[in-house]
Amino acid sequence: MSPRTAQHPIARTILLAIVCVVWLLPGVSRARAAGESGVFIVGVDGMDPIITQRLMDEGKMPNFTKLAGEGTFQSLGTANPPQSPVAWSNFVTGMNPGGHGIFDFIHRDPANYHPLSSATPAVEDPGSGFHFFGYVFPVGAPEMKNNRGGTPWWDVLVDHDVDVEVYRIPGNFPNPPSEAKVLGGMGTVDLRGGFGTYTLYTDTVVEKKNPKGDVEYVTVHDLDLDGVPETVTSTLRGPPDTFHLEPGEIPTANQYLTQGVTVHIDGDTDTAVIEIAGQRTLIQQGEWSEWLEVSFDALPMGLMPVAGTVRFYAMELRPKLRLYASPVNLSPASPAMPITSPDEFVDEIYQNNGFFYTQGLPEETDALKDGVFDDDDYLKQVGLIQQDTHRMIDLALDRFETGDATFVYLSDIDLQSHMLWRHGDPKHADAPRHPAYRRDSAEKHAHDIENFYRDVDATLGSVRKRLPKDTLLIVMSDHGFQPFTRELHLNAWLRNKGYLVMKSGKKTGYFVTDDVDWSKTRAYGLGFNGLYLNLAGREAQGIVDAADADELMGQLIRSLEAYRDPDGGGRVVRRVARGSEIYTGDRAVEGPDLVVGYEKGYGCSDESTLGEVTEWVIEDNESRWSGNHLMDPEVVPGILLLNRKLASDGHDLTDLTATVLSYYGIEKLPGMIGEPVL
Amino acid sequence: MQLYNQISSVIFDALYAPFGHDFPAFDLLLWPVLMGVVALIVFKYVSNQGAIARVKKQIAMHLLEIRLFSHDIRQVLKSTLQIVGKNTIYVSHNLLPMIVMLPPMGALMVQLVTHYGYAPSEVGAVELLHLELDPASAQLAGDVSLKLPAGVSLDAPVVRTADGQVYWRVRADQPGDHVFEIAVGDEIFEKGWAVGGEARKIPVKRLRSAEALLYPSEPAIPSDAPVVSIELETLTRPLAFFPDGEGGILLWSFGVSILAALALKPVFGVTF
Repeated sequence: MSPRTAQHPIARTILLAIVCVVWLLPGVSRARAAGESGVFIVGVDGMDPIITQRLMDEGKMPNFTKLAGEGTFQSLGTANPPQSPVAWSNFVTGMNPGGHGIFDFIHRDPANYHPLSSATPAVEDPGSGFHFFGYVFPVGAPEMKNNRGGTPWWDVLVDHDVDVEVYRIPGNFPNPPSEAKVLGGMGTVDLRGGFGTYTLYTDTVVEKKNPKGDVEYVTVHDLDLDGVPETVTSTLRGPPDTFHLEPGEIPTANQYLTQGVTVHIDGDTDTAVIEIAGQRTLIQQGEWSEWLEVSFDALPMGLMPVAGTVRFYAMELRPKLRLYASPVNLSPASPAMPITSPDEFVDEIYQNNGFFYTQGLPEETDALKDGVFDDDDYLKQVGLIQQDTHRMIDLALDRFETGDATFVYLSDIDLQSHMLWRHGDPKHADAPRHPAYRRDSAEKHAHDIENFYRDVDATLGSVRKRLPKDTLLIVMSDHGFQPFTRELHLNAWLRNKGYLVMKSGKKTGYFVTDDVDWSKTRAYGLGFNGLYLNLAGREAQGIVDAADADELMGQLIRSLEAYRDPDGGGRVVRRVARGSEIYTGDRAVEGPDLVVGYEKGYGCSDESTLGEVTEWVIEDNESRWSGNHLMDPEVVPGILLLNRKLASDGHDLTDLTATVLSYYGIEKLPGMIGEPVL
Repeated sequence: MQLYNQISSVIFDALYAPFGHDFPAFDLLLWPVLMGVVALIVFKYVSNQGAIARVKKQIAMHLLEIRLFSHDIRQVLKSTLQIVGKNTIYVSHNLLPMIVMLPPMGALMVQLVTHYGYAPSEVGAVELLHLELDPASAQLAGDVSLKLPAGVSLDAPVVRTADGQVYWRVRADQPGDHVFEIAVGDEIFEKGWAVGGEARKIPVKRLRSAEALLYPSEPAIPSDAPVVSIELETLTRPLAFFPDGEGGILLWSFGVSILAALALKPVFGVTF
């Protein structure tokens, strides 16, 4: 257009009209224009700023060093408590737990003091069952919902016409409906509806009492009578046999659908063929099989097949048998329940990548904790997950276009820091040996955690090579890590201090078996960091008046913060925060009254977390679960690395939510508490 | 069985894929339509067209009776029984042309599946080669040996089961139409493996049973052999605009031929 034309009154009017129309278009176009280069976020669960900085200084993370030089590397404030579901929910919604309602892995039901998973709200009415020829057909069963409140940032972006893809985001199962393409991660269940139950087929006694997986004791038969036993038949448990369960009934061991498994072990070689559901795989001793798709019939004549995927690991075939089956994952080819939004997104991933781990936390930590796996077995399985992760990141990069917003998630560092810290503290060079340290395995695995950091660095390098240069690249973690050497049985401490009272004649027991005298109990612990008052009018058998609550909380705070470890005199609890002071939002009332922030090295025991009152108050953590972050948030910040220079530090997870929205020119929603970092 | 497969292969290998196997649409559209036309011609000359027309009218008449005399339960029952009887006659009139059509139609559909239903394995693919012995010869499992073709390697040791199954995990190192030689006692059995390269007719499985009629790309196993089957996992070829896989192509070709026959029925003056 020439200057002369532009000065013409009609031309100016038309031009003005066009400008007005463009301006008045819904924020969608403006959002797209504002963030036109797009944003790519790499979420690294559990990446610690001190370890990262050390490895960068030692030249072991060159891609991090390079990006930090071009942009910014700093620590990132985590959630309180610094637990993954809480922290990721902070990032997803831009709220603290008072807004999104996820306060811990474990919540409590005030009606009966029982522990509940935080992923889904408590079911008050499971519906009823219609009985027909021995089958129970559920009627009026409640829809499974995600307990997380607030609005995920991806929904806001999609509303503003931004294409969003999110891979393996924690805490998104059950999948809330969304126009964004979202694959849920941590919290996504296996086919049994739990967080992953393995099966071990063996003819050898397993030493661990009450292992978390199924141990199937089998006999290796000599069917051809040649003197060499070679054939094993057993079953693999799949989903609960829903049509033989009353609504809300918890299945017993025999109330799961099963598939027959036959194992043919060759008489001359350490090799076997496994047959299940019409499929066969041949594996050698020490090998994992590929994924096998297994169908379980919930109704006769194949009227309702439920598909899952499983892979086998031949730990030992001869002379003893130890054959491991992974938890049965929801099949991405035909998931029995939605694992993505929209439902079709999983097809797109499956068509590109084939079968993959759909279980939220696929690292088989239970097998390692139970002693079924040794470190080598465990790391071999972690390698399979890494292959999945790298394929998924490649897919995300293939699909990324300028202007898009994409999030990818890496679980390696978190789980491996939990499991392998005992071999050598990667954060504190002068740290004493972990109680679970064993010289034989430590020598081989002392640098494993470091290697996972280096793998993330290599991943960052490949991401950078493929991303357009002006794309906003954010690498962030939800929290850092510390050793976990001593565990506090908080409920035992409360008992010894007189806040929790057992029924007469009992010193130990469980909340779920009603061993606590609630009529005399003033406070109890549930969850990894939660401490609740037994408040009258809120708890079913509450005795603490609202007027006395503040004074009682003050007593508890002083007493817990003053408590010293009888072994060495160290401080056990760094800070106890009042829920009312740290949580804002409509759901703050659902949270614990006090949040216990443990000192580094300390944490709440699993027993106390689930409402057990033990004899001992504090003891060494002998478990292979040897690193942790369920402490005071100040001792476990996460990391923030991005390709932009920042003028300030001291940011936290909720600031990243505001940053992503602001990058696209979108105002944060009411209730979002963060501020943009850019 | 073997002769039938050989004849059908000679005929359809010559007719199919005139423009190569990369253009499945030509054969998947043309041949089912032609099959429908041939079926009409066969019907016209093999069936008793007059009798079929007559029995159809009689069935229509009895249906009308049910409608007109629906208040008379005895008449309704009588007409219903007569419809059942006439239907039996109708089906019997159709039997002969159906028997005449079955071999060529079956061959045509099975050959379409053989040519377009499967894809060659990719180089680097690892598959399970599975041989099943007759239960009476299960003791021969220990005497079974495999000779690998060049371009294929063994990926794990062999597994022999107590019930006479033998498994090898094989890896495709190079593209080609490889042939395994499996020795069972003194007898040698061959099994093909298509790896890499263009779309083509793919060997799937060799069988001793009548099911071998569905897999004509390789010879059936002789009925007196100690081997029941030799199989190798085969990839389904994705077909962009047509249903893929064995079931997809069979249903597609059958459905299209029926639709073609229905559409062209008046042109050929055929009643069925």
